[in-house]
Amino acid sequence: MTSNARQITYRLLPVCSFVVVLSLWSVVSKVKPDMVPSPLEVVQRFRELLVAPIGQISLGKHIWMSLQRVLTAFSLASIIGVILGLLMGWNEDAQAIVGPVFELLRPIPPIAWIPLVILWLGIEESPKIFIVFIGAVIPIVLNTQTGIKLVDPLLVKAARVMKANEFQILREVVMPAATPAIFAGLKTGLGTGWMCVLAAEMVGAKSGVGFLIIRGMESGDSALIICSMVIIGIVGACISIVLSRMERWLCPWRAIL
Amino acid sequence: MQPATQRSKVSVVPQPEAAKPAHPWLNRRTVLSFASMSTFLLGWQFLVSSGIVHKRLLAPPIVVIQTFITKFVDTTPDGATLQEHFITSLVLALIGFVSAIGIGTPLGLCMGWYRGIDAVAHPLFELMRPVPPIAWIPLSILWLGVGLVAKAFIIFVAAFVPCVINSHAGVKMTSPVLINVARTCGASSWQIFTRVCLPYAIPLVFAGFRISLGSAWSTLVAAELLAATCGLGYMIQMGRTMIRPDIIIVGMLTIGFTGAVMSWGLDRIERRLAPWRSKR
Repeated sequence: MTSNARQITYRLLPVCSFVVVLSLWSVVSKVKPDMVPSPLEVVQRFRELLVAPIGQISLGKHIWMSLQRVLTAFSLASIIGVILGLLMGWNEDAQAIVGPVFELLRPIPPIAWIPLVILWLGIEESPKIFIVFIGAVIPIVLNTQTGIKLVDPLLVKAARVMKANEFQILREVVMPAATPAIFAGLKTGLGTGWMCVLAAEMVGAKSGVGFLIIRGMESGDSALIICSMVIIGIVGACISIVLSRMERWLCPWRAIL
Repeated sequence: MQPATQRSKVSVVPQPEAAKPAHPWLNRRTVLSFASMSTFLLGWQFLVSSGIVHKRLLAPPIVVIQTFITKFVDTTPDGATLQEHFITSLVLALIGFVSAIGIGTPLGLCMGWYRGIDAVAHPLFELMRPVPPIAWIPLSILWLGVGLVAKAFIIFVAAFVPCVINSHAGVKMTSPVLINVARTCGASSWQIFTRVCLPYAIPLVFAGFRISLGSAWSTLVAAELLAATCGLGYMIQMGRTMIRPDIIIVGMLTIGFTGAVMSWGLDRIERRLAPWRSKR
């Protein structure tokens, strides 16, 4: 009986916490209406956003612009990153050659590249793609490299005993064994990429979700800022859900938590 | 050519008995690393000094080193010396990071052990989690202005979420066998929490700290790019407006180096606190 009551409490508590947060939010918005929009105002602003374009571009187009930048850069980063990681993980000479320069550039956050890249490429599409590329390529290289280094040596030896050549070992043994690690890198890369595109668009852009949120800041439209934050969060969550699905499909032997 | 004999091509198998270098440091690996690094630097120098890349776009390594040295006393063009920018950024990052750890870790740990706290706080976290910390910048600038408080808040948000999530996961993933053993031996809930779950969670908690630190440091740069009057992010932003690539590169390297040093320091602390968990 008591345990049943407990179960019900645990079910109700999340609902309570949402209610408390929402009511706190409403109270704060009553006290400081110019700074904090009420939840209702945010919903209204969102509906307005669906019909009224901002900066001559509709909401869907803004989201699509950002996604397009991320996807272009991410495709480039995944091709180059996996190849580079493969080389560095498999071949010691390649590791010795690429390693030091990579280690020099790795700790620099992708956001710190923004000023230099704007200096080089202006504020068109290419600098954003470049920054997202830097953000996405680093985790991909690192994970691919570690994944390949951690492949069970027994498997490689077994393949070698069966007279597989170097390329066959790489393709038939090492790559499948490293797939989960590589995929984890791709996931992190895409997540970082989504954050980078936001930063790049916030520093200078005429479209995209980062532009929306900065527009909200510049015009003091806090409802727009919160709308954009929600949109950014939802898109980010969707991206990671899609990737998790793909992971389950690509490496089904890997039980995911 | 039997592939099996090409041992140097395979790095997968660590073979301590093979490949004993003739000299402790003069082996193939160091030579190659050194060669690639110098090619990189020389190529960079050559690209700029030969005029293929314009001086206004990229500063050669020698100029970068010169700027790095003179920037310790020179306040042009951004109104502060390198160490002033550095201290500003570091203090901000540490304030945000330490307060996030101080609040986030206990919260996450408690969320992991006490179901009631979990039920209250977890859904809110799941809501906050997908929003990148950078997206908080406009709101906090609007609410708190461009001063120290706003930036500390942004960094706090950036560092807080990974702290909580990892501490939570660390406790949740405690092996149930250990918990049951403790329970069989008559340990109270509090004892199990502090003696079993906490030590078990340390590696994951520290992994969270590392993510937090990285996130805090890069978010700080973003915040300083957008609104600041001092700090490393401000310095590189000014370097862009003044078209001083040398300043930008000095700033980028300082940011990268500081981040690397901080995460190395965290590693050392972890090894002190959890020596039983030797990594790799």
